[in-house]
Amino acid sequence: MIWLPLYGLFYAMVTLYWARIAAQQNGDYQTFFSTAHSLAPWVSALVLAGASLSGWAIFGGADEIAQRGFGLSAVLQAGIVLALPGVLFFKRLWFVGQRLQLSSQAEMLRMYYGSEFLVVFSTIVAVLFAVAFAGLQLHALSGVVQALSGGAVTAAVAGVGLGLLLFGYVVIGGMRAVGYLGAMQAVLAAAALVGFAGFALIDIGGFGALNAGLAGLASDPAQGGRFMVAGVIQFTEGLGRPTGAVSSSTAVASLSFAFALMGFQASPLAAKIVLSTRSARGFAAGQTWVMAGVFGGLVSVAMACLGAAALVRPGLSVGGLLASVSPWFAAWLFIGALAGVQLMAGLGLLTAGEALVRHIYKPWFHSALDRKATVTVTRVVIGLLVLVSVGMQILTPVTLSVLGALALPLTFQLWTPLLGMTWLRWITPPAAVTGIGFGIAGVLLTEPFGFAVLSFLGLDLPWGRWPWTIHSAAWGMAANMAAVLLISAFTQRRGFGADATEARRFLADTLRTSPRAKALSATAWAVMLAWGFLAIGPGLVFGNAAFVGMDGRWLVGMPSLWAWGLLFWVLGLGLIWFLSYKMEMASPVDTGFPAYTPPPRLRRDQRTAEAERLRVLVLTGAVAFALIVLTALSFGG
Amino acid sequence: MPTSQHIERGILVFTIWASLGFLGLGIVLEGFARDSWPLSACGVGVIVLAFVAHIIVNGVCDTGFTQGEALLGIGTYGFLGLVFIASALFGDISMPDLYSGLTLFGMLAAGFLAYLATRHGLRGAFSRFHMKGDDMSFGAGRRP
Repeated sequence: MIWLPLYGLFYAMVTLYWARIAAQQNGDYQTFFSTAHSLAPWVSALVLAGASLSGWAIFGGADEIAQRGFGLSAVLQAGIVLALPGVLFFKRLWFVGQRLQLSSQAEMLRMYYGSEFLVVFSTIVAVLFAVAFAGLQLHALSGVVQALSGGAVTAAVAGVGLGLLLFGYVVIGGMRAVGYLGAMQAVLAAAALVGFAGFALIDIGGFGALNAGLAGLASDPAQGGRFMVAGVIQFTEGLGRPTGAVSSSTAVASLSFAFALMGFQASPLAAKIVLSTRSARGFAAGQTWVMAGVFGGLVSVAMACLGAAALVRPGLSVGGLLASVSPWFAAWLFIGALAGVQLMAGLGLLTAGEALVRHIYKPWFHSALDRKATVTVTRVVIGLLVLVSVGMQILTPVTLSVLGALALPLTFQLWTPLLGMTWLRWITPPAAVTGIGFGIAGVLLTEPFGFAVLSFLGLDLPWGRWPWTIHSAAWGMAANMAAVLLISAFTQRRGFGADATEARRFLADTLRTSPRAKALSATAWAVMLAWGFLAIGPGLVFGNAAFVGMDGRWLVGMPSLWAWGLLFWVLGLGLIWFLSYKMEMASPVDTGFPAYTPPPRLRRDQRTAEAERLRVLVLTGAVAFALIVLTALSFGG
Repeated sequence: MPTSQHIERGILVFTIWASLGFLGLGIVLEGFARDSWPLSACGVGVIVLAFVAHIIVNGVCDTGFTQGEALLGIGTYGFLGLVFIASALFGDISMPDLYSGLTLFGMLAAGFLAYLATRHGLRGAFSRFHMKGDDMSFGAGRRP
């Protein structure tokens, strides 16, 4: 098969060509991390949408429908729930970033809350996305290469090749390469998703035949559950327990899964793009028309068609389709899927590398590092992250999967500090920090990673994964919010630092809500809650029968839940438009403002303290290693 | 060093050809493989659509094709044209494939001439090929 290597070579050439252009624009290292805040708004909109869906739509979302049907209906609303956080946060984060000259989420958290814990947490989330979440998708792609080449190229070799390409363009062009290529990759990934759906429909005989196949499945009592939401909630012990979930297709499973998806646009990856954008003018259009509109439509229609086709005929999965279509189409579709995955992986690597070096290593251990050396060290760290990711793909795919599952629920916990920074001024630094701590505990105690760690220590929890069919993102947020509410109530007298006070004053002055938007706020709340209740919440149970006639036939020729999902995608698009423009949450603002100049501070010589910290770090690492070895020997792992 | 407008135009052009161009190429090849002229014609339609999208981007950015784009386009056209003529003369080519090839190259040639005529006018289009002395700057540049 010549086409795949040919298209692959072309893709690699284009990638390196743009990396070179980006490096020239960067002056090699001067604007490596932030593009000098010069990304065009339309580029950012595409990158945000493409990174949000990445390869998930093709590999994850479609597979969810193919395996379990339409029960987890929130999958169909991915475009809307991914757009919501952007509407809430992006505009305000961009203004704070511009005013205080910040270029990453970790910097913002340090500035506003003065908390190193939050900086470390944001960094861990970025590393999880870069290494595990993207690694899982790259692992799936490597398997596809092995299958397409008939085993001539092993998954391991493919993984190394894909990793090298990723490493090459990220370290050469930095954020600029990620942005420039990201716009192209987003469109390529979207085109591939449409292509996959198109080929699946052609293969199965058209949309009518697809729905006839689905109707046939639904008439089988053993399969009918795949077209129903299995009630609002099931009080089971969770997956992996003897009396665990009978079905993960409850309404609260959908709602809590939607929460997990909402995590992405609160992640350090999304913040990186937002803060590299030259203007806030594009956020409303990007979130409304690109993310919720085009990409949301692709999810609700194309991804659903792809998944449904594989549900009817399992041979029409992504791998099966690639093997069955002509080689030139297979190569084109593969490159599209690869583009989607590399978009998110590249962004994750850059964000994680920057966070590890600029926000942890440099301020704590080597503040004398100049800009050029910082970029060089970051390039080395990115190389190491790629190495770890590829190594885990080849050697420990199960661990990769366990870690990858943590990325979205953990990043959803960042909602509380971001809400505090942008809207809820009563959230105090101690509350935000403690809330994140509780959130992490909530997630870890309902995910396999936590079970594995506790089991390693000889402890066995009485519940499994996602007890009561509630996703770990929601368990974490419940603990997080409870802690935030309580501690905020007790710590209202605590003040903020000078920079945070300036950010609060600036937002209150510059982005004051207009009287018209204030008058609409009750309507906005009502509409948002109603949409949330019916589209992703308990009201999903109405979707079971909403488009089913008295004789049990589907009234619109497709599964009732799918039609319900399409209806609420359209209504959700209206909701996003309403919040973005009418409520002015993401609407363009024409105002110029100078950068804030902080009062001069005396910088002390940090070298002794840094050397001491490094010594403590090495000692702690050695002690921790010894303790882990001792525990493993004692309890048997 | 390219300006940000040049770069944004470049991103759009690459995006158009990577998505529409390669899709069109795939459909044309599928038409050849299945000896189906209608399928090939659909592929040609998609390639023409990519060409039109490229011209729209040029219009929005107030520029023409760059020298590299013109060279790559004409070079590819010439090379593939030669391959097609050689196959038609010396190979075993079916009638649907012959018509498919003629449609592809005919449409692209007609499209290119139509582009030149609409951008420069009939006389101006001729002048693009009739280069005199120091007027050798084919392709790129802002509109006068």
